[in-house]
Amino acid sequence: MNTTSPFLDPCTHSAAGSLGVLQLKRDHLIPAILSASTDSDYPEGKVENTRFGSYPHSTLINQPWGTQILASVVDTGSRSSRSKKRKREKKDDGDDTPGADGSASADAEEARTALVKAATASSGFAHLVPPTPETWTLCLPHRTQVVYTPDYSYILQRLRVRPGDRIIEAGAGSGSFTHAAVRAVYNGYPTNSNHQDDDESVVKRRKDNKKQGRVYSFEYHAPRAETLKKELASHGLDGLVTVTNRDVYGDGFCLDNEDEPNADVVFLDLPAPWQALKHLTRSPASTAVLKSVASDPSTPNDDPPNGASEQTQPSKPFRSPLNPKRTVRICTFSPCIEQVTRTVSALRSLGWLEIGMAEIQAKRLEVRRERVGLQEEGLRGANPTAATVHEAVKRLRDVEGRAKVFHGLQKEKQEQVMRRAEAIKRGEKVPPADGEDAGTVRMKDKIEGLPPSKHDRLERAKKDLETRALFKEGRLVHRTEPEIKTHTSYLVFAVLPREWSKQDEARARETWE
Amino acid sequence: MHSIIRPNTHVALRLPSGLLKIVEIIPNTNINLGKYGTFPTNKILGRPYYLTFEILDSEKEKYKSAVQLRVVPASELHAEALGSDQALQSTVEDEGTSNELDANGTEGFDIVDEEGDVIMRNNRLTVDDPSRQTLSMEEIEELKKAGAGSGKDIIAKIMASHLAIDEKTSFSLAKYTLRKSRKYLKRFTALPLDIGTLTEYVAEKEAYKILELREESLGLICSWANVHCAAESRVQTAEDGVSQIGGGRWLVVDDTGGLVTAAMAEKMGILYPTTEEEEEEVDYLIKVHPEDEDIAPVISKAAQEDSGITGEAPKSNDAEDAATAEPETTKGSSNNDKTAEQTSKTPNGTHEAPRPTRKPHQHIPQMSAQTNTITILHPNNQPNVSHLKYFGFDTGAPAVSHPLYTHLKSVSWLQLLHPMEDPSYIEPETISDDVLATMKSSKRGNYYKKRRRWEKTKRVVDETRAGGFDGLVVASSMETKTILKELVPLVRGGGKVVVYSPNPEPLVELCDYYSKDRRAAYIAREFGSRSNGKKARIGAEDDGIDESEEEDDFPVNPTLLLAPSLQTARARHWQVLPQRTHPFMTSKGGAEGYLFTATRVLPIEGKVEARGHGRSKKRKVADS
Repeated sequence: MNTTSPFLDPCTHSAAGSLGVLQLKRDHLIPAILSASTDSDYPEGKVENTRFGSYPHSTLINQPWGTQILASVVDTGSRSSRSKKRKREKKDDGDDTPGADGSASADAEEARTALVKAATASSGFAHLVPPTPETWTLCLPHRTQVVYTPDYSYILQRLRVRPGDRIIEAGAGSGSFTHAAVRAVYNGYPTNSNHQDDDESVVKRRKDNKKQGRVYSFEYHAPRAETLKKELASHGLDGLVTVTNRDVYGDGFCLDNEDEPNADVVFLDLPAPWQALKHLTRSPASTAVLKSVASDPSTPNDDPPNGASEQTQPSKPFRSPLNPKRTVRICTFSPCIEQVTRTVSALRSLGWLEIGMAEIQAKRLEVRRERVGLQEEGLRGANPTAATVHEAVKRLRDVEGRAKVFHGLQKEKQEQVMRRAEAIKRGEKVPPADGEDAGTVRMKDKIEGLPPSKHDRLERAKKDLETRALFKEGRLVHRTEPEIKTHTSYLVFAVLPREWSKQDEARARETWE
Repeated sequence: MHSIIRPNTHVALRLPSGLLKIVEIIPNTNINLGKYGTFPTNKILGRPYYLTFEILDSEKEKYKSAVQLRVVPASELHAEALGSDQALQSTVEDEGTSNELDANGTEGFDIVDEEGDVIMRNNRLTVDDPSRQTLSMEEIEELKKAGAGSGKDIIAKIMASHLAIDEKTSFSLAKYTLRKSRKYLKRFTALPLDIGTLTEYVAEKEAYKILELREESLGLICSWANVHCAAESRVQTAEDGVSQIGGGRWLVVDDTGGLVTAAMAEKMGILYPTTEEEEEEVDYLIKVHPEDEDIAPVISKAAQEDSGITGEAPKSNDAEDAATAEPETTKGSSNNDKTAEQTSKTPNGTHEAPRPTRKPHQHIPQMSAQTNTITILHPNNQPNVSHLKYFGFDTGAPAVSHPLYTHLKSVSWLQLLHPMEDPSYIEPETISDDVLATMKSSKRGNYYKKRRRWEKTKRVVDETRAGGFDGLVVASSMETKTILKELVPLVRGGGKVVVYSPNPEPLVELCDYYSKDRRAAYIAREFGSRSNGKKARIGAEDDGIDESEEEDDFPVNPTLLLAPSLQTARARHWQVLPQRTHPFMTSKGGAEGYLFTATRVLPIEGKVEARGHGRSKKRKVADS
């Protein structure tokens, strides 16, 4: 019913055939094209198996987004190579009982017609969330370096990408930027496949007034381009992105269609952006400029492809891939400073303005409660040292006090023993039990008043734990997360104003002066 | 949008000092840039953005109209950075002293000469003595007064009068030239006033007014809140058949004077009053229909007033508004109809009206859009979205043509939480048509006005309370936990919650309120009390003390948000020049700017056991 991508309008519920994301932990997300088909090793149909339980797709489909999903009991077999084993088992079964072949296939057919309803497991849960470029960036299959959220959000913000814009992306890579860019330019699907309720006038108006936002994605690596195409199709974004497998250094950005890409915004995630820049001009660049752009003693092997392109250029009439009516903005994404200096100098030669470079330093913070104090002795996740000087002094006193008493007792006991020994020596009769009893009683009395022993303290800490509200104890602290990306890439920004000829100027003068 | 400068819009001018100046482009007026000079607005009207203009002053102050602007070509702007080897042949058109200067300036960058000898000077000979500049301040002032041209000649004279200009290292010479250019060069660059420029402008002057937001924070906010254009989305009804879900509606609490709202509106395609095609057609329009309502009357009117300045400004503005209002009106209405069709909610579908005439003034209810909307919650009677004025949206008298007129909705906290206490929510009495007919027209008008206001308030308040928003964005100095307590339940499942704060502490606290431990305690308590039977719960609710304690421990329902996280980002800006690439030596300090992000989820009732945290294993170890 709904052909819009779940990235752009996820509807109220998850649906079969569209992408859903199973969020297990903050950074642990599993993307899954939800499938109601029974074509699977499991009687429950397709299953997502995780450390936190198994989730058959049947429990994920047609759920309101954001629902907490309980894990199901799924026989996953042995942990390693379960599917292989299952297959082997099936084969074994077939071999063992001749003629069971038919019944096995009948079983399978039965499963195909009706999925086994998954039984809820006693523990384990996950949340089903709709895909967004952010969640996708966290869980996409890595093909190349990923452009992460802090970078792409800044890039799109600074490039002023708006709904209806057309954006060139070269070096599609893993597609994280592609997804974010689609969201930024999206203002509706192309209207070729018309809605029924659109009467003619509406269609016409749309055609006349509304430019459809679109992403033109270029990827040099053919298999990657193919994967990206498939991925976008499965995400319902194929109507909004044109993926082209091409070497943009040599062949530029123009597509067969006369008015494509007609770009307003350019994003280059290429190893040598300056080689692509010569194609991003409003008018054919002069050879002097091209030379100055290409010339660099450090990379002599740049020249052959350049020479080649110069030769081929005259044969084709020049066509600019840029929107002639608008300011065009560019961002290049390069990890090395040498790339930046070459890119910037090329941009300067080609007349780009407002050139600036920045790098994004992003970090995430973790928040936790830090519990310090002697009451934490023996507990996990806390620091069991003294929290205050006072506490330290008290503990020292306690220890010393105990030691004193014990020493005293020891001495007493020893003296008693000595006395008895002497008495025996003297030949006196001593009633042993009596004295002993009195001694232990006295000792107990003394110990009673003493601070608790370590053993007692630990016992008590454990007991207290049950009544303590740990979630609000301790000091609330925050710190940078253990792993940070100290450098992603340098971002070079520039704008190319609309071309302004003498005639344009004359016309403006005529109008306004 | 934003390809050429249009009349009656705001434009940011970057001055040689690097500062921004925002001016409204009113035809037939002058723009004064202080020491950098004055020029007539018409000289930049209709020209593309991002061009750098040089003010060529005439000799005599009187003939201001004789001021000419020269577009400085890119090659000239970059001449110094590119160095002599790449300075293009076509660059230097100017004669006289400036040529010399350029030569001077570029020559300095050669570090190696033809023979390959290193001729780069070092600073061994540098003398720190102000007396090396032989021109006195008075003399420079004199030069400035007499100054014709673009200020280049002054700079040239200053440079020429420096005793030891040839002792300077090439880099220090470049710096010296740059410093002098910033001071004396009469140039400016016309930038479109968009979110980035506005942010920079406000941050420079009154950063506290926008909670010290930076461009990178805005980008993060909009990304994490999943803000995008949803003009084609539909509002859908939830399972209960009453509440709505989705449709590209975002809730905002905005204490940045509307900057966050504007940034979101830009992403949603509802910030700018004109479509880009209109803009593209401007020159076509100018050519073909010079007397079209749009621009011509303004010009002629303003022209009659002989470049009247301040007093005339609002007038001509109004005239323009009135003139443009009508064609736009139909446009707005048809837009509106489209959404109405899509959602089949409002019975209103008259988009057949072709070119409207002045008379049938169709009323478009404010805040009536169904999808792709921003609902702003405000602590005062009216929202403070003053920054939207730069985008042609005046909250006091919003233009019907502006997309925000229908797409920006506002609800006060009182209306949201206690609607019956707000007088504008209470239905005014209805008057029958017969009685109405006998009333004076002004009274009748008043009556309709009141009804409309009530209808608007009721509609907006009711739909806000119904919830199902796609996201919540908070950038407020109010205590965030109280905001989230009320607003998180209004976000749909899977919707995004983003809270911005200039300082980390409020957000750290917030993270703690949604912490795993607290959530566990909350569930345990809920679960426990439920197993005790409902009576115990009711008893607890009656008990005032218990409740306040609960309020303290659980100011928000911690089970409603998933994966709360805290992050910050900062862009570090660099200088990129040949042989001199490094981060800028200084930049602005102040608030770092933090972001709390989370996803709204629908928790399962009752106790849910987690699995696989590796906890049991550790415990075993501890036990053994």
